[in-house]
Amino acid sequence: MKYGRKSLHDKIVFYSLAIPAIIIALILLLLLLTQTSLSIPIFNVQGVTSTYISTTWRPSYEPPPTGAWYGLLPAIWGTLTSAIIAVLLALPLSLSVVIFVEEILPRRFREYISAIIDLMAGMPTILFGIWGLSFLGPILQAYVMTPLHEYLGFIPVFSCKPLAPATVLTAGVLLSLMIFPFMVVVIQETYRAIPITYKEAGWSLGLTMYEYVKLNMSMISPAIVSAILLGFGRASSETAAVTLVVGNAYNIGFCILSPAYTISSLIANQFTESGDFPYMQNALFAGGLILLIIGLIVNTIGIIILRRLRF
Amino acid sequence: MSTRLLVGGILVLLVVMGVFVWYLAGRESGKVGEVAQTPTIIAGGRQIVLLGSGATFIYPQLDAWAKEFSKRYSNVRIEYNPTGSGTGQRQFIEKVVDFAGSDPPLSKKNWEQARGDPRGVIQLPVVIGAVVMVYNIPGLEGRLKLNGEVIALIYLGEIEYWDDPRIKALNPELKLPHERIIAVHRSDSSGTTHVFTLFLYKASKGKWPKELVEKAIEWPVDKTGRGLGGKGNQGVTDIVRRTAYSIGYVEYSYAILAGLPWALVENAAGRFVDATPETLAKAAEAAYPLLPQSLEDDFNEAWENMVYPPGEDSYPITSFSFLIFYKVYPRDKAEAIRKFIEWINTEGQNYIVQGYIPIPEIVREYNLRAINIISEG
Repeated sequence: MKYGRKSLHDKIVFYSLAIPAIIIALILLLLLLTQTSLSIPIFNVQGVTSTYISTTWRPSYEPPPTGAWYGLLPAIWGTLTSAIIAVLLALPLSLSVVIFVEEILPRRFREYISAIIDLMAGMPTILFGIWGLSFLGPILQAYVMTPLHEYLGFIPVFSCKPLAPATVLTAGVLLSLMIFPFMVVVIQETYRAIPITYKEAGWSLGLTMYEYVKLNMSMISPAIVSAILLGFGRASSETAAVTLVVGNAYNIGFCILSPAYTISSLIANQFTESGDFPYMQNALFAGGLILLIIGLIVNTIGIIILRRLRF
Repeated sequence: MSTRLLVGGILVLLVVMGVFVWYLAGRESGKVGEVAQTPTIIAGGRQIVLLGSGATFIYPQLDAWAKEFSKRYSNVRIEYNPTGSGTGQRQFIEKVVDFAGSDPPLSKKNWEQARGDPRGVIQLPVVIGAVVMVYNIPGLEGRLKLNGEVIALIYLGEIEYWDDPRIKALNPELKLPHERIIAVHRSDSSGTTHVFTLFLYKASKGKWPKELVEKAIEWPVDKTGRGLGGKGNQGVTDIVRRTAYSIGYVEYSYAILAGLPWALVENAAGRFVDATPETLAKAAEAAYPLLPQSLEDDFNEAWENMVYPPGEDSYPITSFSFLIFYKVYPRDKAEAIRKFIEWINTEGQNYIVQGYIPIPEIVREYNLRAINIISEG
C-alpha cells in the first residue's frame, strides 16, 4: 500500500504494527539457527549423512562414534510413512465432506457441519491421542489390520501380522482424522469462492451432478494440492497424539502394520533426560532440524500453489 | 437463528455431561477423616522451604511424607519436582536444590565431583523399588513363571512364541498359546530400565550383553517388529493392558494399581518368587550387608550388587532408590533436614503409600547415621 505523505500518527501506527511482524520472521530465523547450531556437534562426530541414514539408536555414556550412536532414519521413515497414510486417507474424506456440504446438504444444516468441523480442527491433539490409544487402536487391530493382513498379506505393506494396536497405520488413521477438518476448511473456502456464474454455466449446459462436481474440482485443483501439502506438514509434525499410538519401536520396514517411531515422538520421549548422554540432545536437535526443513518446504510449496489460484 | 441454536445445543450438551460426571463422581467421594495434630515448630519458627528434584518413582511416597511432615513441623515446607533421576543428580551437582532423589545412586563421576566439594554428599537408601513382569495372555489360567534367561531371550527377540519350549520348561502346568510375544519396554530414559537391564545382565547366564545395561538402550526386539515402547510406567502398563499376548516391565506400585497379573521370577537361590511386600523386604534385608560402610561412600558397586540379591525368599528384580543430601547446610536448613531424615526413618514408615513398602529396621538405622553427619556451616 502506498500513502502520499505520512503523518506522524501514520508512522507510529505503521511501526507499531510492523514490529510484531518482524519479530515473527526473526523467530523463525532464530529457530532455524538454533536447531542448526545445536545439531552441529553430532554432525561433527557422526557426519551429516550417516546421522540421517543410519538405523541405529544406541544411547551410551561413551560418546559416539565408538560408544553411542544416534541414527535418525527409522524416525524419519516413520514420520514420512505415517504422514503419507494420513494424507491418502484424509483427501477422499475431506473432498466428500466438501461436496456433500456444499452441493447436497440443505443450506440450513451447513452451519452446523461447519461449526463441528471447526471445533474438530481446534481440538487439543492429546484428546485424539488418548482416544486413539484406548478406542481406535484396538478397533483397527481387530477389524481392519487383521483382515488386511489375512487377505492382502501378499502385498509387502500388509505382510507383517498386526500384533499390537499401536502401529504406523494406527498413527496414520488417527492423523488423517486430525488433519481432515483442516483440509476441509482449505478446500471449502476455495470451493465457495468459485464465481456463481461458472456454476450456473455448468448447470445450464445440462451437466450431471458428477460432471458438475468434476468441473468444479478441476477449477480448484491448486487448492486441493495445497490442502494435501499443508495437511502433510501438520501430520508430519504432530507429536502428542502420535507418541501414544505409533508404538515407539525403533524399527524400519515397508510393512505399515508394525510399530515404529516418528521424529517428534522420539524427541517427546527422550528429550527430558537426554542431557545425561553426551551428544544425544544434539542428535534430537538434528531430528528437529530435518522436521523443520520438511515443514518449511512443504508449507511453502503449499502456500505458493494456493496463492496462484485466481478465478 | 442457527448460531443461537448451536450455542443452545452445546450448552445443553455441557449440562448433560456435567450431571453425568457429577452423578458418577458423587458415588465414590467418601472423605477420610483427618487426625488433628498439634504442630511443632523448629529452627525458631522461621519459614523453611526444602527444595528437591529427581526420580519420579519415589515422588508419590516422598510427596506423602512431605505433606505429613509439614503437618508435624508447620514452618517447614518440602517441595519435590519429579524431573527424573538424571536431572535430579545434575541439579544437585549444580546446587540449585537442597536434596535430590535418584533411582540409581550418584554416578561415579557425579559422586566424585560432589565429594570434592566443601558441601560434601551423603546418600540414603530410603525407598525399595521392584520391577515386575506384567503380562497379558488372554485365557491363561495360573501364574506364569520366568527366569532371567528367558526374559532376556524375549527382549533379545530370540524367543518368538509363548509356547516356546524354553518357556514351557518353566511352566509345565500351563497351557501356553502359540502366539507371538510382544515385548513392551520404556520409550523414555528411566531408572526402571536400568534396574531391569542390570537384572537381565546378571541373571541371564551371559545372554544379555553388558553394553545393553543402561537407562535407555537400543532394544534388539524392536528390530523384529515385536517390540513396543511406552512412555513412563503408566505408558507401559497401558500398552500391556491393551495388547494381547504382551509382556512388559513396570514398577511394582504401578502393577498393583493396574490390576495386571505379573510373573513369578526365579531368584538367585533358584526359587520362583512372587513380588509381595514380604519378598521385597526380604530382598532389601539380603541386600543390606552389601551396602557401603558409610553413607559418604560411593554406592555404585553396592547398588549393582543389590539387584538380583541372594536369599531364599528374595524377589530378584529389587533395588533401592536414594535421597541425596549435602553434608553441610545453613543453620535452619540443617535442622530441618535432620528432622526430616529422622522422621522418614522412624514415624514416616507408618505413612507408606499403597504400592510401596516400609524399609527394614536395619536399613532405617543405617539411614539414621545421617543425623550425626549433617552439620551447620
